[in-house]
Amino acid sequence: MSASTPSVGQWLRNKRVIVCCGAGGVGKTTVSASLALGAARAGLRVVAITVDPSRRLAEALGIARNLPSPTELSHERLRAAGVEPPGTLAAWMLDPQLVCDRVVNAVSPSEGARRQLLGNRLYQNVSTLIAGMHEYTAVEALHEFIRDDRYDLVVLDTPPSRNALRFLETPARANAFLDPRILSFFIPSQDSAFHRAGSKLINKLLDLGLGRAAREELQEFLSLFQVILRHLNRNQEEMRRFFGSPDVSFLLVTSLFQAAQDEAHHFEQRAREVGVRMGGYILNQSLAHVEELPPPHGLLSADAPPSARRALDHLTALAALDERTARGHLALATALREQTGARTPLWVLPRLTGQDMDLTALVDLAEVLMSTPATTSPPIAARSR
Amino acid sequence: MSPSHTPHALLDRRINLITGKGGVGRTTVAVAFAQMAALKGRNVLLAEIGSPEESDSPVGRCFGRPELTDIPVRVAPGVHACQLWACTGHELFARAVIPGGPLVAAALRSKALRRFMTAAPSFHELGILYHFLRLLEQQDERGAPLYDNVVVDMPATGHTLALTNLPEVALRVVPRGPVAEAMRRGQAFVNDARVAGAWIVTVPERLPVTEALELVDGLRASSVPVRGIILNRFLEDPFAPDERSEAEALLSRRRMRGHFAFERINRGRDAMARLAGAVPETLVPLREIPRDEGDPCAGLTLALTQAA
Repeated sequence: MSASTPSVGQWLRNKRVIVCCGAGGVGKTTVSASLALGAARAGLRVVAITVDPSRRLAEALGIARNLPSPTELSHERLRAAGVEPPGTLAAWMLDPQLVCDRVVNAVSPSEGARRQLLGNRLYQNVSTLIAGMHEYTAVEALHEFIRDDRYDLVVLDTPPSRNALRFLETPARANAFLDPRILSFFIPSQDSAFHRAGSKLINKLLDLGLGRAAREELQEFLSLFQVILRHLNRNQEEMRRFFGSPDVSFLLVTSLFQAAQDEAHHFEQRAREVGVRMGGYILNQSLAHVEELPPPHGLLSADAPPSARRALDHLTALAALDERTARGHLALATALREQTGARTPLWVLPRLTGQDMDLTALVDLAEVLMSTPATTSPPIAARSR
Repeated sequence: MSPSHTPHALLDRRINLITGKGGVGRTTVAVAFAQMAALKGRNVLLAEIGSPEESDSPVGRCFGRPELTDIPVRVAPGVHACQLWACTGHELFARAVIPGGPLVAAALRSKALRRFMTAAPSFHELGILYHFLRLLEQQDERGAPLYDNVVVDMPATGHTLALTNLPEVALRVVPRGPVAEAMRRGQAFVNDARVAGAWIVTVPERLPVTEALELVDGLRASSVPVRGIILNRFLEDPFAPDERSEAEALLSRRRMRGHFAFERINRGRDAMARLAGAVPETLVPLREIPRDEGDPCAGLTLALTQAA
């Protein structure tokens, strides 16, 4: 296999962090779990971090959700999944509120401030109230692991969103909220006359809209949470620089139902602007390989019953449907290949039959994922026709 | 055929909130709902959540108008479309409740304050909800509601629940005052099963169906009536029971083309069984519109009209 068409297994060898991005519903969580599993099977010590995944994935990996730290998969499970030492796999399905609580516990200036913040009703709903809290906490969790020498590889499954780029914009959005010049207007006891006047106006506004009690609670929240946000922000800034380092690669997982071409184009452009490395594209659940399978012909003997004949007729129609889907997928993969150019690998993952999310299914997908070569132009499946 | 499947039944409520997991075709379904209502001669508003900073408009793209703003514009016969913007909601609110409103509204337009409002706890969502409320309340010159039907392309599951949960959470923190009053006005529309209903779009796959069922529970918990479930990209089962067992026997002999479509049919059957067993509301299977069969929005409108 040439260097220009590496498999995912070869590609991830020199990576420290892989960030899987993608719109919702493309199978991103499954792909990143399989990626982590595949790397562990190849002998790496891997931690997979994911935000709010499906219950079934947690079940498939055999770990609980919302634990305060990553959980190692049990030896039995690892053995069943073909992971042998030195390879290990830990997974963490993180809960934004829990991550935030950890930060509060770690950085609160005093015990009083800590208790006051944990008791604040706005804080108690912080992960739903603050837009992008999922993204902040994902970055915060990543920050904890980049210096952790227990792991060779961190696989981060980013929070689902319509916009695959949202994750890249997290630090910028955190900054908008944390801008002290703006925040200070909302918090009393500022010394300049300008600030006092501004604060007074804003207090008046908030009193009119929210009532005094709620306004005071909001201000308590803002003044206490400022410290926490500043800490998060420092880490976000650090991570932003870290994202640009050669250790980190971004993968875009995309599906064949969506405007994958546009999405890839915007993602690549945005990645360049933000200064992160575009590791590659994974086109998930392709049926392009269907063309390698035989059509349902010559399966019945002359004395087959009429019900079997009708069944075969239906299957023939379904075969045509599969072929049609395959042609669409192939055309999309080809177009995407041409668009992304030869430097960024594009992996076309076949849809596997009988996909029920369990450990076996993840192992199957991991095997395919690790061994599928990047498509060249024209894609592999086209040549075998 | 159940009584809820009589013609016009799908549009028996004024407000239709279209929600569901990412990638299941929410926007296309929302557009199809709006067009279906317009075909019945109604004046429709189709809204999506956006912001002036983000130029992309999934709804607008369906009409070749990617530049939708907070002001409704006519995008098709009988259909007006716009985005719900938090900043517009903030400004409308300030003008409505605060003496010297125009001055405050001007302050709200300042870049610094707007950036804060975008990220401050819930202010963003509150702004969106208020903008939505004001559009719902718009009247024509005779005092009748300006829009006969309002269709909203809601965000994906988690963000939809963040929006629908907000009024109750906020009323607990802020029980009095203009914000609370506006919230109650909104609830009077959206929590009334005679007026509003959510449609959950999903696809015949295991995880999306699970998420749809969780969304049903989540919406019920936030007192938003669930009108029904739309099972998109559904593949009709052509097999009679005796044919099915023959087909299974043939497929077990070797891997061949048609296997994937057969599995899709099975997933569709499973999905129908799970959804029908768990949700008493209307269940509408919609056949897939192949990519090469032209405009997916128009195709889905047709499919939806046939289903109704």
